[in-house]
Amino acid sequence: MNPLLPFLMAGDPSLEALPGLLSEAKALGLEAIELGLPHSDPIADGPVLQAAAHRAIARGATPLRVLESLSGLGDSPDIILFTYLNPLLQIGAGELKRLLAPTPIKALLVVDLPFGEESGFESDLRAAGYPMVPLLAPTTSLDRARRILSDRPDPGPSAPFAQRFAYVVARLGVTGTGQDTDLAPVSRRLAELKALSGRPLAVGFGLSDPRSLASIRVMGATPVIGSALVQELSDGRSLREALALRLFDDA
Amino acid sequence: MMEAFSLPSRFGAQSLGGCYAPETLMQPLLDLEAAFCAALVDPSFLEELKGELRNFVGRPTPLTPAPRLAGKLGLKALFLKREDLTHTGAHKINNALAQAILARRMGKTEIIAETGAGQHGVATAAACARLGLTCTVYMGVTDMARQAPNVARMRLFGTKVVPVEAGQGTLKEAVNEALRAWAGRCDRAHYILGSALGPHPFPTLVRTFQTVIGEEARTQVLDQSGALPELVLACAGGGSNGLGLLLPFLGDGLRRVAVEAGGHGTALGEHAARLDGGRMGVLHGCKTLLLQDDHGHTAETASISAGLDYPALGPELAALVLDGQVEVRRASDEEALSGARLLCETEGILPALESSHALALLPALAAEGATTILLGLSGRGDKDLSTYQSRLGI
Repeated sequence: MNPLLPFLMAGDPSLEALPGLLSEAKALGLEAIELGLPHSDPIADGPVLQAAAHRAIARGATPLRVLESLSGLGDSPDIILFTYLNPLLQIGAGELKRLLAPTPIKALLVVDLPFGEESGFESDLRAAGYPMVPLLAPTTSLDRARRILSDRPDPGPSAPFAQRFAYVVARLGVTGTGQDTDLAPVSRRLAELKALSGRPLAVGFGLSDPRSLASIRVMGATPVIGSALVQELSDGRSLREALALRLFDDA
Repeated sequence: MMEAFSLPSRFGAQSLGGCYAPETLMQPLLDLEAAFCAALVDPSFLEELKGELRNFVGRPTPLTPAPRLAGKLGLKALFLKREDLTHTGAHKINNALAQAILARRMGKTEIIAETGAGQHGVATAAACARLGLTCTVYMGVTDMARQAPNVARMRLFGTKVVPVEAGQGTLKEAVNEALRAWAGRCDRAHYILGSALGPHPFPTLVRTFQTVIGEEARTQVLDQSGALPELVLACAGGGSNGLGLLLPFLGDGLRRVAVEAGGHGTALGEHAARLDGGRMGVLHGCKTLLLQDDHGHTAETASISAGLDYPALGPELAALVLDGQVEVRRASDEEALSGARLLCETEGILPALESSHALALLPALAAEGATTILLGLSGRGDKDLSTYQSRLGI
């Protein structure tokens, strides 16, 4: 099982630093990371990722520059591009496929794209090898979860984690750090979902301390660490330092 | 528990609208649509709404003939639909009150709202005070400064006003923050969106509760003059006022005109005229005409009017425009100020800066040969007094 799914914001601290961060992540043994595409109106993000997105945009991290900076990058974990829909729509499916081809991006997590709203766009990208990650929220009923998981199907055990996993949102609200996220409902939810599907599950939103991350691993899922990591990198910590306590359960 | 939407979520030949919402909000949106559909066929809801619109809001609002202004412009007749005379002073109360009643039926105890000019915030705050609901309104800091009287009114009604400092500190950022807050409290809170935008079912919900404006106006103008006007005119920010007035005239052979904020220039960032320079895009849960840069980031906007500076046009109104049912024009900040002054001097009515954009277009429409016009006066101008004082030098 994948022990950790870290989230980085492209362009924060800088686009120039990105290849180095990805290489470091790979050296730490990480199979996949989420990479945020900075957006002007990140409605699902809390203050830390909002601020990181705005810093990145101010430094010129446009969608095109981000994708170009990933072009030809071999020394990297698989990337799940975490993004809002509009920048992708403006690029268009054809051009987007061309831009994604030389990058380590293996899947797209489009926060504001429920299945069916852009079915042509979505199936075009999936056919090209860029499936959309299914998202399951605390408000998602089990019936709806079943439909989402079949609408965005598991390509099977031969596919990489990035293309197989479903993202389980741990709590109501937006992304952010949280010391007091109640994990009991998460545990029940994971048990229900495991009865529905054998695909890998990742859990994010409101997880940051090593103990919470370890608890998620005990539940048989991969914890996502986002806001806390982005904050620490922005404060000048190295990826290795920031992840040292969070990658292993002996913390 | 509803699993699919039952109402159409798309508008026009280009399928605008839709429901581009984060997964956390999907079930609340499905539940909202189900509650809305059930309420619309429930006599007890309709009776309560009708009673409150009459006794609390003050409907029907008058249709006021404006003969001196008409004469000055060379028009045969001009009628003003007086939403400025509603309780709280703008059309926003029609929707805010209806949604608050709907929320209480759904068992929600908290209300979240965004506001730009503050009129929707004040209307929601008043409705919540009346119905005993807790209310939090998100408002950009720029708008809080330029619409200070409305901030005070909301607070008097017991509403918590949360300043939003991000970006330009206007309506777009307030909607961002309200959507985030709703995602965190959707188990107990209802989000009263004030404009005909956002994810389905909001555009349909809002316009359904606002078409009372046009329905009344159509009956009143026929009663008063025995005929329909040649042209119906309304300002358009997101589109709640525009759709509310224009939709009931859709089957009639007349010109329907919406006026956007021309701001102080024609370059991106200097105006909020979505028809000039807006491209199809997705913002706040719907696909529509959007002012954006080459990267798909929402563009900055500018307008003297806090209620018209939203970077996107509501999807149903945008679809009507693209399909040729509604014309769109623009009025600049300066033209809006002149329009306001003209109405004040000829008819003794102080319009909101938003409504002044519609007034500003009257000379041009008269010059084009229009002779009878019905204009939606969406709100009163007390909240804009300080802007009028400084910009008109009075």
